Amino acid sequence: MESLQNIGIQINKEVIDIIVLTLKLAFCSTFLSCLIGIPFGIFLERTQFFGKGFILRVNRTLMGLPPVVAGLFVYLILMRRGIFGRWNLLFTFQAMVIAQTIIITPIMSGMFYTTALNMAPQIKNFAKSMGANRWQILLLLLKEMKNDIYFIIFTGFGRSISEVGAVMIVGGNIQYKTRTMTTAISLMRNKGDYGEAITLGIVLLAIAFFIQWIVDFLRRYENIHENY
Amino acid sequence: MKIIELQKKIGTFHLNVNELSIEEKKINGVIGSNGSGKSTLVKLIAGLLKPDNGSIDYGVFNMRDITITAQRPYMLHDSVLNNLTYPLKIRNQKVSNEVISEWLNKCGLLGKEQQFAPSLSSGERQKLSFARALIFKPKVVIIDETMANLDPDSLAIFERTILDIQKTDPITWIIVSHQPGQIFNLCDCIHFMENGGVLCSGSPHDILLNKKNPTIAKYMSSYMIKNE
Repeated sequence: MESLQNIGIQINKEVIDIIVLTLKLAFCSTFLSCLIGIPFGIFLERTQFFGKGFILRVNRTLMGLPPVVAGLFVYLILMRRGIFGRWNLLFTFQAMVIAQTIIITPIMSGMFYTTALNMAPQIKNFAKSMGANRWQILLLLLKEMKNDIYFIIFTGFGRSISEVGAVMIVGGNIQYKTRTMTTAISLMRNKGDYGEAITLGIVLLAIAFFIQWIVDFLRRYENIHENY
Repeated sequence: MKIIELQKKIGTFHLNVNELSIEEKKINGVIGSNGSGKSTLVKLIAGLLKPDNGSIDYGVFNMRDITITAQRPYMLHDSVLNNLTYPLKIRNQKVSNEVISEWLNKCGLLGKEQQFAPSLSSGERQKLSFARALIFKPKVVIIDETMANLDPDSLAIFERTILDIQKTDPITWIIVSHQPGQIFNLCDCIHFMENGGVLCSGSPHDILLNKKNPTIAKYMSSYMIKNE
């Protein structure tokens, strides 16, 4: 422990609490985004309707939504005078989950739609030629896209864990309650407390590296064995 | 099976088949030069494309009875065995291990059951897709240049399989091929396509000796010269 402190790394209860809260937030918002984003991506891929082009453009725009704008939007609807103000959610964990879900969901639906658009015709034609019904085609599509779906989920998780603007606005960076790794780093830099900031920065990098390693691992098998 | 006034436009290509009868429980061949519309026609018959106009009267068949294999068949990102048994699984159909082994043996894939199917060579993929199309005993099998990459021995095995099936429990075949020799050896009836339409239908003898139509005569003479 002492040697870690010598190189500027500080591990204490607060740092551990911050890491746990950040991971919890990333898991919850990624899970909710999966529940909404992937079915929405499936819906976009499988249906043709008037206005689909407009919805796709809106979705693509939201894929690049600046987190502070998402944070501001959630702040405005959750503030005391906002439409959901009576639920008293502002500066809570739930508010941060809502803001991050708004940021990640379009990324997931957009990525799923683009991937499915490339893969689906081949898979659908194959499944149809084998006599599969609608549900069997959908199941096969999801099965064949499983590695791409993992990639989409980990991308969403990575986006969530590194996000700062929205959680700062709707969470308020409250100690032991809504302080995440990114907001804590920002605060500690302001306070000149570089030890904890460096520790959290290293943990963040390690998590990002771990996510990337999982994604590579999932894709490696097929890349090595596919006979193009 | 009867095709009436079938039309399909893809880019600048226009398929227009006024009338075409597919003989039931016979081997029907479709020949013609590149871009004549052979693949578009069989994709329409298999339900993989929707016609712009016209209709296909399937008679006693329903879409689940019809299967198609392509020149570049799709391989599920799964084992050889799971690829072979996919049509059985979606039908809750069971076959004995002996039948599976027999098909694997015909494909030259016995002992490779657990190999990742996309890692197979193009010839092996074609053989597996042929077996996959036949294992569930469909009533109509469409082979869209699937046998193009097969070595002579494998080709002979599959031609023998087709003829054996026709002897014991005949089904309807539609074979698209660029090898007139193969078509003339196997087929009971041949449809010659040119510029998106069916120019002539008849027995192999009728097509081979057709001198009236210059396009057919030219196609056949080039085939004859090649085989002299």
